[in-house]
Amino acid sequence: MAGKERAERRRRWTPEGWIRTRRVVQALALLAFVVLFVWSRRGGWPAMLVNAPMRLDPLAMLAHLIASRTVLAGSALALVVVGLTLALGRVWCGWLCPLGTLLDWIPLRRRRSRHRSVPEGWRGVKYGLLLTILAAALFTNLTLLVFDPLTILFRTLSTAIWPGVDQVVTGAETVLYQVPFLQGVVGAFDRLVRPVVLPVEPVFYRYSVLYAGVFLGVIGLNVIAPRFWCRYVCPLGALLGLLSKLSLVQREVNERCTECGACARTCPTGTIRKEDAYASDSGECTMCLDCLAACPEKAIGFPARISEPDWREYDPDRRHLLASLGASIAGIGLFQGNLLANRDHPRLIRPPGARENALLSKCIRCGECNRACPTSAIQPAVDEAGLEGLWTPVLVPRAGYCDYSCNACGQVCPVEAIPPLRLEEKRQRVIGQAYIDENRCIAWADATDCIVCEEMCPMPEKAIVLDEAEMLRGDGERVTVQRPRVIRERCIGCGICEYKCPVNGEAAIRVYVPSEGVGAVSF
Amino acid sequence: MTDYTRRRFLHRAAASLGLLTGSWLLAGCGEKELTTVCPTAVPATASRTAVPATDAPETGVEPSPTTASSQAAASPTASSRAEASPTAAATPTEALSRPDLVVARGGEPEEMVRRALAALGGMEQFVKVGDDVVIKPNICVAYHTYEYAATTNPWVVGALVKLALEAGAARVRVMDYPFGGSAEQAYVKSGIQEQVEKAGGRMEVMTKFKFVDAKIPQGLDLQSCKIYDDVLKADVLIDVPIAKHHSLARLTLGMKNLMGVIANRPAMHRNLGQRLADLSSRVQPTLTVVDAVRMLMKHGPTGGNLDDVRKADTVIASPDLVAADSYAATLFGLKPEQLSYVSAGAAMGLGKSDLDRLKIEEVTVGG
Repeated sequence: MAGKERAERRRRWTPEGWIRTRRVVQALALLAFVVLFVWSRRGGWPAMLVNAPMRLDPLAMLAHLIASRTVLAGSALALVVVGLTLALGRVWCGWLCPLGTLLDWIPLRRRRSRHRSVPEGWRGVKYGLLLTILAAALFTNLTLLVFDPLTILFRTLSTAIWPGVDQVVTGAETVLYQVPFLQGVVGAFDRLVRPVVLPVEPVFYRYSVLYAGVFLGVIGLNVIAPRFWCRYVCPLGALLGLLSKLSLVQREVNERCTECGACARTCPTGTIRKEDAYASDSGECTMCLDCLAACPEKAIGFPARISEPDWREYDPDRRHLLASLGASIAGIGLFQGNLLANRDHPRLIRPPGARENALLSKCIRCGECNRACPTSAIQPAVDEAGLEGLWTPVLVPRAGYCDYSCNACGQVCPVEAIPPLRLEEKRQRVIGQAYIDENRCIAWADATDCIVCEEMCPMPEKAIVLDEAEMLRGDGERVTVQRPRVIRERCIGCGICEYKCPVNGEAAIRVYVPSEGVGAVSF
Repeated sequence: MTDYTRRRFLHRAAASLGLLTGSWLLAGCGEKELTTVCPTAVPATASRTAVPATDAPETGVEPSPTTASSQAAASPTASSRAEASPTAAATPTEALSRPDLVVARGGEPEEMVRRALAALGGMEQFVKVGDDVVIKPNICVAYHTYEYAATTNPWVVGALVKLALEAGAARVRVMDYPFGGSAEQAYVKSGIQEQVEKAGGRMEVMTKFKFVDAKIPQGLDLQSCKIYDDVLKADVLIDVPIAKHHSLARLTLGMKNLMGVIANRPAMHRNLGQRLADLSSRVQPTLTVVDAVRMLMKHGPTGGNLDDVRKADTVIASPDLVAADSYAATLFGLKPEQLSYVSAGAAMGLGKSDLDRLKIEEVTVGG
């Protein structure tokens, strides 16, 4: 029994055992990411838990620290990943990153096929991106965090994959429900998945194809080389790569090496090269340990020792630094020259409290608020905030309304870009103002009672009141109609009137950004 | 190796495609079946002849409907029974002692419900052993607790769950489809979930795909509509509105509360009175219990201001939906005919709105 156990233990620490362990860890990490994504919806798990993946991300936390000039206690979680990297190298990339795992699972090209022809110099691109992100953060800009792998995956999940899955499941349920003997099963299944995993009310996002496209693009780069994204583009990988130059545990090739090249053929990051005598760059190695198993001579080890950072040609130097500084200055100059920097887009309705909170210098584009919002009112901005505010949160009332009983976005935001307002505070916070389009409103244009906006208004003292007015209908008859009127001082711009307005297409009552001094409920 | 897996993938894809086609075909069959069932399920004039048989107080034990399909089969009798109660109450021989409508006043909500139901002859009049019961309270928003009178009193709902189970119901489900905030939040916020679960009932979230196309044969304006299937199939539907203000309908009561079981509500807003009556002709509650423990006098249906709430400590119970709404209107100082849906419902013969011709029993509970 004991002997068997020992044999078991020995088997586990064989190279194959290590790789198996890594694959299990990868799968679990991806699963954890998706589970936390699912339960980050309002009414799910505590915000501190569900937004932990974002706070583990050292790039997002560092950029936020620089841009916002504020230290958040929660961001210290990223130090775990920093510590892990200093000890073991880019294990985040090889063992934990959910996007990296997906890239491993969908290789699109068999690893042992002929070597790719991508020049080594391309590896510098990710460092350029990293430096530009950090330089721009100095000037309070965080736009390029849209390239952060965690934000890419999370945004894709919330705006494309999950709504798509929901539509497919609902479609299947609708069809199967018409089969009499399946109704019980379908009903039981539905109670199992809703409202916990899938929403009861379907959620809709603008441009979900765009997000799916970006994601497929990242995956599709694998056609050129395995883990192309991690090797050449990922700015988080770049940051962890720089830290890995100092890591304790590094790959080493000993004198048993016969230069057979098996390790080079198996390496998913392509950092093991004949030209370097099959040594690798610790800044590129993701510690996947594939080479350990591939080596027939057991010539590869991963000892722990302090070593000099090994600087390569593609690694950043002063030239890179100056170039990215210049690029960020030029970019920010362009952003500031954009009209949107001077005048708000009329529909740039921000989540409660975010407008007056220097959102642009705090938002890491993680998309947690998109997911938390139960009505999918919060959507990634595409044109409302210009390129500078790309994929920052914006409320789109026709997609959903700001629920009077909800303050989830401020709670879940890992960087307090949307302030964590108490529900009572949030209910007072003006995010916009509703305006009636009398040319299209049923009461005005058709001289017919509708009152839906008044009915829906959640304010205890309704911000929309009805006036009885005598009107001439189209056919010439005199009728009394209840016409809606917005009381500025009461309207908080939640947008439920616009969302529920029965007029087809664009609503006949719409929410616009608040003007200074108008509708001052609380401030 | 790759070829083999690819072929297997193709095989599976073909198999699942076949499965899908099959289910589509079956779906077509299901649809046909549904349309043929509908006319008989609706209490048209012809089915009235069968009514006394089902309503006879023989305490006959019906087989408990366990599967969904047997529920479907049971639904015609359920609907006709819903129709039966007012008719039966009108026959002088049997229902002389029984009132058309009971008003209970004073005391705790649960006690008022119990006393009102007792005066109507007990819940056994409406719920038979083994019945599948659906209770439809008004949980229209997730914004406030019950004190704000935007949602039905939790103890009124809880009492009905208990009574239904005591009468032998196989299961009691409570559901609504809020327009502001999500259902699961509204269930908790309103306090209804707690009381229902304590009473042994189950809260169910109304899901998209169960809104099925249903014909409304008696409908004058609304001829068809997507209605929640569980409500259509239930043996017993108990409508539990809270009495409150509404700008278009003037008041939201029993008939207006039924708007919660359909999918497309904006469509109802034009010609609301007639359309509500049309809907009520299809979704006839077996029993209507108007919660006027607290009444929302203005800023309905959402509320949010305690100054708009009037504590009336009243519960109205009747098998006649129109009668219940008619009486509730008087609590607001309105005449029944001032509510467009009451007039339309009375004109369609769904119930009686003439309070002078109703046998009304008043029950005073406690002090």
